[in-house]
Amino acid sequence: MSPRLFLHVLSVETRKLMSYRVEFWLNTAVGFLAQFGAIYFLWKAMFAESEHSIIGGYSFDEMLLYYVSAILLTKLVRGRERESALSQEIYEGSYTRYIIYPTSFFRYKYAQHLGALAPASVQVMVFGAAAAVAIGPRTLETISMTSVAMTMVIVAIANLLHFVMKAPVEGVAFWADNVWSLDVMLRFIIGILGGAMLPLDLYPTWAQELLVWLPFQYITYFPVRVLVGEVGGIDFAIGVAIALFWTAVFAGVVRIVWKRGDLQYTGVGI
Amino acid sequence: MLRYIRLYAHFVRFSFSRAMEFRLDFFFRIAMDCLFYAVQLAFFGILYRHTSLLGGWNLDQAWVFVAGIFVADALQMTIFANNLWWLPIFVNRGDLDYYLVRPVSSLFFLGTRDFAANSFVNLLMALGVLCWALFRYPGSLGFVGLVLYALLTIVGMLLLFAVHMYFLIPVFWLQSSRGLDEIYWSIHVLSERPDRIFHGWVRRVLVSILPLALIISFPTRVVLGEGSAWTIVHMVGVTFVAWSLLFVFWNRGVRSYSSASS
Repeated sequence: MSPRLFLHVLSVETRKLMSYRVEFWLNTAVGFLAQFGAIYFLWKAMFAESEHSIIGGYSFDEMLLYYVSAILLTKLVRGRERESALSQEIYEGSYTRYIIYPTSFFRYKYAQHLGALAPASVQVMVFGAAAAVAIGPRTLETISMTSVAMTMVIVAIANLLHFVMKAPVEGVAFWADNVWSLDVMLRFIIGILGGAMLPLDLYPTWAQELLVWLPFQYITYFPVRVLVGEVGGIDFAIGVAIALFWTAVFAGVVRIVWKRGDLQYTGVGI
Repeated sequence: MLRYIRLYAHFVRFSFSRAMEFRLDFFFRIAMDCLFYAVQLAFFGILYRHTSLLGGWNLDQAWVFVAGIFVADALQMTIFANNLWWLPIFVNRGDLDYYLVRPVSSLFFLGTRDFAANSFVNLLMALGVLCWALFRYPGSLGFVGLVLYALLTIVGMLLLFAVHMYFLIPVFWLQSSRGLDEIYWSIHVLSERPDRIFHGWVRRVLVSILPLALIISFPTRVVLGEGSAWTIVHMVGVTFVAWSLLFVFWNRGVRSYSSASS
């Protein structure tokens, strides 16, 4: 796929998404406020009732910063996750057209995925700025230009990792009548093991040690730690290497699943 | 009334036959709900590693609350979820006519037609977790409390249905494909937290105007012996008002439905 075509697909997807602007901003704003509200009150109660000023190495403000960063960075990693976007093509039989397109199905789909990311980036900046004011500038002192640059690198890798993790699940659509539940299962697993629901520092030590080697924490927890300046040069390189390793592994799985699926595909839709 | 019960029995029978046609999906969905339970148990388990109380409840009390989340989720998924998923699609495609001309309440027909047989299996599991949480609870749980808990859980389900419908009914007027469903799912998490963690005007909103925080917390309080008659009156009253408003919104929505797909 030529870079020009890639960018064209990306921009078409962005424009498509922006055609329902009110819905788009309303969903995001209310979604962010609800998530932030639930987290704020939960941790306010946790700190008050436990009578600790530090939990899992976090003060209350640091905890809020963790969650705000997690919500926003996860948005960049997952994009506007349209569930079953790949599987839908199989179910509707529209996957056929990609077989005859003179370009790779996955590159085309990844360009669409990135296209949905452009508006999300704007939202991240807007809500990030608002949250920064709300939390207070002192908490943000650990964030530097270097940590932001490092975060951009790891978020780009995490985005690709998430895409290739999801693709084999979607590929089950070649054999199963519905993969929505598998998608949701993947989201649950990433949520609890990736650090979106809770910072992994709160987990038992054995779990933390194990999760370092699994792909999930590179979706949320690791990028957040990089952003807040808790990950140095060597640790960052190791994290990036592990994330790239898993990206390669899942890309291999995608290849196998879709190669077998292509043989199964009838093109009639359901 | 008898006619509605007979009709619902037919819905259930059809749904089981349909579920068995798609067996793989049937088992996927059961696995999905099991994973949801595991994630919630892990979430609260980890929180209680760092505190002994949350929202005024210790871990034993929190397990009863968490089991309540499972039962509420399973009931919602079994009875209403599929129907609420299809509603905006029917409106957008102009397929609502079929349901509006039936000689039964359109709200009943559209709200209960699709009974999710796979989630029914999970409802049994959720009830199992609830029994486990109640049996291991070290305090005493009176028979009256348990009966009231069961009744208030049903009231909570009706309330959750009404709140969810508020976010779907706008599809009659909006050009969007799913109404405000995405917003509903964003705020749904507020029902899965103990109500007493919320304070001030947020708490007042969450137990009255947008009464998500009382759906699981209030029945839990009653069964744990922390509720009063006012807790019950409050929950039933809010549900009554919510359903009255639902009928008004629904009738307005149906009146503005033009049948042509949008």
